[in-house]
Amino acid sequence: MTTLITARQMIWADVLRLRKKRGFIALVLAAVIAPIVIVTGYNVIQHASDPAAHAPAGGLHNYARLLDMLGVFMGPVAAVLIGAEAGAGDLAAGVFRDNVITGRSRLALFLARIPAALIVCLAVTGLGFAIGLAATFGFAGGLPTPSASLILESAAWLALANAVVCTIAIGVASLTGSRPGTIAGLIGWQLVLSPLLVQSSSLGSLRNGLLDGAVLFLKPGPVSGSPAITMSVAVAVLVLLVWLAVLPSLGAWRTRTRDA
Amino acid sequence: MQTVGLTKRFGERTAVDGVSLVVPRGAAYGFLGHNGAGKTTLIRMLLGLTRASAGSATVLGLPVPAQRAEALARVGAIVEEPSFYPHLTGRENLEIAAAVRGPETRSRIDQVLHRVGLDKRAGDRVGTYSLGMRQRLGVARCLLSDPELLILDEPMNGLDPGGMLEVRRMIRELVEEEGRTVFISSHLLDEVEKTCDVAAIIDGGRVIAQGSIEELVADRAGELVIECDDTERALSLLAGDPTIRNLRREHGGLRMSLVAREQAGEINSKLVTAGLVVTRLEPARRSLEERFLEMTTRLEVAA
Repeated sequence: MTTLITARQMIWADVLRLRKKRGFIALVLAAVIAPIVIVTGYNVIQHASDPAAHAPAGGLHNYARLLDMLGVFMGPVAAVLIGAEAGAGDLAAGVFRDNVITGRSRLALFLARIPAALIVCLAVTGLGFAIGLAATFGFAGGLPTPSASLILESAAWLALANAVVCTIAIGVASLTGSRPGTIAGLIGWQLVLSPLLVQSSSLGSLRNGLLDGAVLFLKPGPVSGSPAITMSVAVAVLVLLVWLAVLPSLGAWRTRTRDA
Repeated sequence: MQTVGLTKRFGERTAVDGVSLVVPRGAAYGFLGHNGAGKTTLIRMLLGLTRASAGSATVLGLPVPAQRAEALARVGAIVEEPSFYPHLTGRENLEIAAAVRGPETRSRIDQVLHRVGLDKRAGDRVGTYSLGMRQRLGVARCLLSDPELLILDEPMNGLDPGGMLEVRRMIRELVEEEGRTVFISSHLLDEVEKTCDVAAIIDGGRVIAQGSIEELVADRAGELVIECDDTERALSLLAGDPTIRNLRREHGGLRMSLVAREQAGEINSKLVTAGLVVTRLEPARRSLEERFLEMTTRLEVAA
């Protein structure tokens, strides 16, 4: 019982240190919300100025774009920022050493970072999704809007996509001990290298091992378009699980062994 | 706390070389050494922050690192300097530390903030704290778990005289009023002499002396200081005594080396019989600083 209470307190302590970092939270929110607001605002102005040439800013078509922004581009960027801060923030502040000398297991210190970061990450993603959803319906005009089941599926997919990236970022940050290195490396991988590799048909089935390919494959049907890589759901889930197992495990190992 | 032959090597370099220490319970123990002498490395081994290359250690009677978690649950420590999240308030930083320590420690936050005199600034961000306040907040964090042993690495570093006095008083209170053991590493000899009961001197990774402060500063050669109403007469009376060596004037009195401590009584008797009024007669004390410099290799190099 005491262990559970301690675990819960450690998680909320990590949430506290993340959410109270105002500049960081502002950056994360800006990364997620600003593109939605800018794109929607631009579309609203265009539609208002020339309704015949430009479709309304909401509706199903814009909803698909919202999902891309939140699940493929800016959502993962925010997830990387949050994961890097959760994974290496205590090292950067020098507090990791003070936590270690309490005698608390280093593995417990590492594990507490994951749910804490996910709480923040999912809250930010959820807020972005809510704003986007409001725009989808509010500016739909006569366009079709997403069904309740599609919204639920999309929400689950967004949560999965960003949670996976965030957890991997925690692992990498814990492994390297560097926030800037993790942010630069993972954003470069996620936004530049991985999409290029997904599109490289010469790689053949090797592309099945890419995180991006698996995440995009699982994107909900009616708004997903044709995925660049086809695989079974089982393989996609397996790929996600491998990514989730390997990098966080390396982070946990490094947290346990590093000189504090 | 005890170490036996504790050693730490970094490649070819030996940072701590077979250190054996015994830290008695309920005392303030000073661990003295120049910068780079191996003080922090030894503390890091004791706290399980780095592995020892050889030797063993027990903390509160428990072997570390084997029973590190149990031992450290009753230890509060600051290594190098207390680190905090600067964007959080003092109280929030303690809430985070309490969460890691365990649920029972949360209720002690107000108490420890009051104990170190930070209750009025607890709501301010740590980024706005002075170094002295951060040191006190560090001590508060140590006290959260109501520890039997506190390990403070260079607690006076960077403090102004007022801050040093505050920390010194706090340490003495922790020892005298609360019965805790406090282990302090420092290169500030004067502070250790004023604060600690027992000390060890480390140089080049080796402990070169340990014992009570009294023992460390005692003059083993048997130096005696005398003050009386007529220093010149006393000087001429004692000058011819073949058992007294190195007789000299010092600070308005006389200082001399004896063959045996028992001579002090005879000298007193000789002066009194000659009609002199002896106002002071005591074994000479050297400061810990003098003793430290005498022992450490830097003095050898300088010589």
